[in-house]
Amino acid sequence: MRALQRSVVLCLILALSVGLFYIGREHQVFLDNKTIEVDGQSFRALKFVKITVRTQAGDAPTIELMPRDRDLAKVTGPSFQIKVEVMDEFGEKVEKVIEKDLTPGFSKDLMLSMPLLAADRDDYILPPPAVQAPSSERDTEPSEETLALPTEPVPDP
Amino acid sequence: MMQKRSITQKLSRLLANNAVPVIFIFISAGAIPLSGFSATYLIQELLIRVGRNSFLILSLLVPIMAGMGLNFGMILGAMAGQIGLVFVSDWAIVGIPGIVLAMIIGTPVAVALGLLCGNVLNRAKGQEMVTSYILGFFINGVYQLVVLYFMGWLIPIASPSLVLSRGYGIRNAISLLGIRTVLDRLLPLRVGPFDVGSFHLDVVNIPVATYIVIAAFCFFIVWFRRTKLGQDMRAIGQNMAVADSAGIPVNRTRVIAIVISTVLACYGQVIFLQNMGTLNTYNSHDQAGMFSIAALLIGGASVSRAGIGNVFLGVVLFHLMFIVAPMAGKNLMGQAQIGEYFRVFVSYGIIAVALVLHAWNRHNERVDARRSLRGPTDAKAKEAA
Repeated sequence: MRALQRSVVLCLILALSVGLFYIGREHQVFLDNKTIEVDGQSFRALKFVKITVRTQAGDAPTIELMPRDRDLAKVTGPSFQIKVEVMDEFGEKVEKVIEKDLTPGFSKDLMLSMPLLAADRDDYILPPPAVQAPSSERDTEPSEETLALPTEPVPDP
Repeated sequence: MMQKRSITQKLSRLLANNAVPVIFIFISAGAIPLSGFSATYLIQELLIRVGRNSFLILSLLVPIMAGMGLNFGMILGAMAGQIGLVFVSDWAIVGIPGIVLAMIIGTPVAVALGLLCGNVLNRAKGQEMVTSYILGFFINGVYQLVVLYFMGWLIPIASPSLVLSRGYGIRNAISLLGIRTVLDRLLPLRVGPFDVGSFHLDVVNIPVATYIVIAAFCFFIVWFRRTKLGQDMRAIGQNMAVADSAGIPVNRTRVIAIVISTVLACYGQVIFLQNMGTLNTYNSHDQAGMFSIAALLIGGASVSRAGIGNVFLGVVLFHLMFIVAPMAGKNLMGQAQIGEYFRVFVSYGIIAVALVLHAWNRHNERVDARRSLRGPTDAKAKEAA
């Protein structure tokens, strides 16, 4: 009986962990406005595009992309909405508005191709580019001295 | 004459029992005006620091209840919490889910380390503090082996921002931007401004959610003391041999006390680091035990006696010293570093003072006990001689 109770508790904790992973995951959404070739067909970069990524927490600032631009939006949670406004080259007239609900779920990052999205294609989600590690002085491997004797002041508790 | 002596003895005993907080109150009273900080700044800093550190210090109460002294092995729990935070950072879990998940991941690690620590301490009865202190160094070595060599190699860590450029091992510093102060900002409360006579207090932010968690922990401690397990621990703390004779499973209860303390230290470290916003992978846990124990002792606790009141008095006095000492040193000597040295000297020195006072008190108690056994015949015999 005790083993059964422990198993149930363990399963509940595992389920809670999976739930927390699902709802708490931060996704990096790369917004790409570069000319792309798919199935031998070329989709040209949009002249000017305004993108609003709406998460559960509320609206993120609007991102504006020019041709060959790529930007990043961070969203938290299993799903988000994206609103893409394709503008004319002067950024005055809205030529097209596309709204999509996306569910990255357990996956971490994704890249959205604006030209493919504007062309109403379904394969607008691309594999994300490799994330570059930030370079800093701390990137170097800690030496024995670094580990034994902290070079930086002890953090104030 | 006898009555006079007893009052003097009582007063000296009271002062001896509370010497550390009294000394600190006097030092703080002198340092606050020297620092030149405003009341608003001091109160705001204290509110943040009490919220940040109290959970870690409260985790020390259970082993003291079980007569195991100050649990220097609490850094084992701190390491477990940090391992949870490394995974959460790698998986990019942010906000409150990130904190809770880090605690869940850290829990089995903390339980395993607590079991190890408890079993080792059962083989070193009477020398628990020094044993747990050395065990902390040993497990620190294992932690460094795991984090520096196994993570990214045997243990998958995908995020390049965490892994060293060689392909395995975790970087020295990890940004916890995704979970930074999320608990503190969950239920924000702004109080003020106040004007009471000449005293002016500006707006002060209170991290209500953090204080709710700490209050829940305090209620847990109060409730736990009344449970069968809590009573067993207190009995063991008073006299291990008598508790054993009474049928209390001494070794098992002591192991449970250490496991509870280690797990709570794991949660405390997660709360501490979410407030700091940066995880210093190889150093953050080092000072957790020392500073927590120093704060508890400054609050008037001893190796064998500690309560919730000692925790909060200690954390306020200790961190008041942390805030004002550098600036007081700068204003007094022209160098902030002097105050900083003084602060470090005080934090380590106070542990030595508290341990010496504890040993002195125990010695006095033994002398009193022997004297009371001799009774009045001893005095009469002296007079006759």
